[in-house]
Amino acid sequence: MILLLMLLALMALILINVPIAVALAIVAVGAMIATQGLDILPNVALVMYDGATKFPLLAIPMFVLAGAIMNASGISQRLIAFASALVGFVRGGLAMVNIAVSMFFAEISGSAVADVAATGSVLIPAMKRRGYPRAFAAAVTSSSATLAVIIPPSIPMILYGVMSDSSIVQLFVAGIVPGVLGGLGMMTVSYLMARRLGWPVEEVFQVARLWLTFKEAAWALLLPVIILGGIFGGVVTATEGGGIAVVAALFIGAVIYRDLDWPFLRSAIIDGGLQTAVVMLLVAASALVGVYLTELQMPQKLAAAILELTDNRYVVLALLNVFFLVIGLFLHSAAAIILVVPVVIPLITAVGIDPIHFGLIVTLNLGIGQQTPPVASVLITACSIAKADVWEVSKVNIQFIAVLFLVLMIVTYVPVVPMSLVEYFYR
Amino acid sequence: MAGLGRAYGRMLEAVVIFLMVALTAVVVFAVISRKAGASLSWYDEVASIQLAWLTYYGAALAAYKRAHIGFPGLLEALPPGLRLALFWFGELAVAAFFILLAWVGMTVLDVLEGDTLVSLPWVPVQVTQSVIPIGALLFLLGQAISLPEQLRRVREGRLLHEGETAEEGP
Repeated sequence: MILLLMLLALMALILINVPIAVALAIVAVGAMIATQGLDILPNVALVMYDGATKFPLLAIPMFVLAGAIMNASGISQRLIAFASALVGFVRGGLAMVNIAVSMFFAEISGSAVADVAATGSVLIPAMKRRGYPRAFAAAVTSSSATLAVIIPPSIPMILYGVMSDSSIVQLFVAGIVPGVLGGLGMMTVSYLMARRLGWPVEEVFQVARLWLTFKEAAWALLLPVIILGGIFGGVVTATEGGGIAVVAALFIGAVIYRDLDWPFLRSAIIDGGLQTAVVMLLVAASALVGVYLTELQMPQKLAAAILELTDNRYVVLALLNVFFLVIGLFLHSAAAIILVVPVVIPLITAVGIDPIHFGLIVTLNLGIGQQTPPVASVLITACSIAKADVWEVSKVNIQFIAVLFLVLMIVTYVPVVPMSLVEYFYR
Repeated sequence: MAGLGRAYGRMLEAVVIFLMVALTAVVVFAVISRKAGASLSWYDEVASIQLAWLTYYGAALAAYKRAHIGFPGLLEALPPGLRLALFWFGELAVAAFFILLAWVGMTVLDVLEGDTLVSLPWVPVQVTQSVIPIGALLFLLGQAISLPEQLRRVREGRLLHEGETAEEGP
């Protein structure tokens, strides 16, 4: 009964725009007082503090900051020039460049919003100048930015790893193949549209130009090698990899390129701190709810109830996919992971699904959620840069969302796609 | 008054920048030390505390900038009278929670008297844990300073959505 009241109160508070983190904390404190009395109150301060000290989550500010420094240091522009020389000769060249740069950027930053801000501010105006429809420019920038959360490193994967107590490094490795598949799928869609609508080729392919832009971008291209090579090779942890990413990006921006925009960097650090804090407050508040739910054994009871209906893992995965797609419409991805993952993990393990495999499914679902209004952080950022209407962009974006959905189905029902590299390297 | 509000925002921004830079410095120093064969005994504990501090000082800045993750869609769609009433209810609920957190946070500090960090015994836990009552009070102040501007947005039916923050504060 209290659980039902908690759920209703939580929904009511969220619907009147109370910050989700605070809504969670209010409801949890209410339930704790109702069941254990006022003596429990000092625990609120202790749990809210302990909840914010989860060591592996240190990787979040590190990767947020690395992406911010990349934006402030001219690395993005050099990557764009290189991608343009590499794939600009294909019809619809700027769309290809946009997707290719997002894939590069995804290997350094773990945030799709950082990716859309980095590529969109340069490429959306360039695409508009070259005659691409405004809605298409926003859609391709928005959807390809979501690759940042699928291709490692990834902030949602870090959160999922902590919430499900699974290996963040293995989650990162599992994201490689689906991320590349998504990028190639989006390039195919763009190419077919460009052929149909007669969009231009950007530049003739020239080996000399490719070499020149490669030399300029070589340091930037070295960043993912350092970061991911270090993490996957077991040389550093994910958090340490984030720290190295920050220093390497700073070194390349300030010493090699000498192109660091300090005022921009200052605001980027503040943005990074804000992004970290709003996610971490959610984590801390969810620790309060977690204490209560664990006492009730709620996740175990939910697992038992669903297992009475079906123990077929494919049916369970289909149900969870529908559930995550629906909440992705209304919830920020961090909030969705923090609220739902701890509750469904016992069910996942009971039906024999690998938590790493499920982590990819959750990430892809919430990646799609970043593209589907009303709550669609990445899409809205792209629309704001393009000064385009969200619904007009969404009509075009359906094609790219279809690509992400196709990758989601492949990842869900052909586990070898995300898991082959994990099996090969770690098991 | 507006100038004081902006100064408050600038102060919190400076704290957040300091905490982000300090956190990065500690992580990088720890990697170098570990690779040099001299792991830092205090790294895990100190870095986790820094993350908690970033959480609560950053959350206060987010309250000032109205940047916390929420769902403004329904509130915007409601008729003005009901919208305003529910807005005030939500604001009071948030304020009540942080008043409670500040109070229990202070109470806990008394209980923790004499405790010190495990890896750095000269640092009292009261200092590290102080972020809860201080962070809660700073959150309340940020919420109060940004209230008039938020009230204007509510009256106009156009609230800040995800990805938007009151850049310069209220």
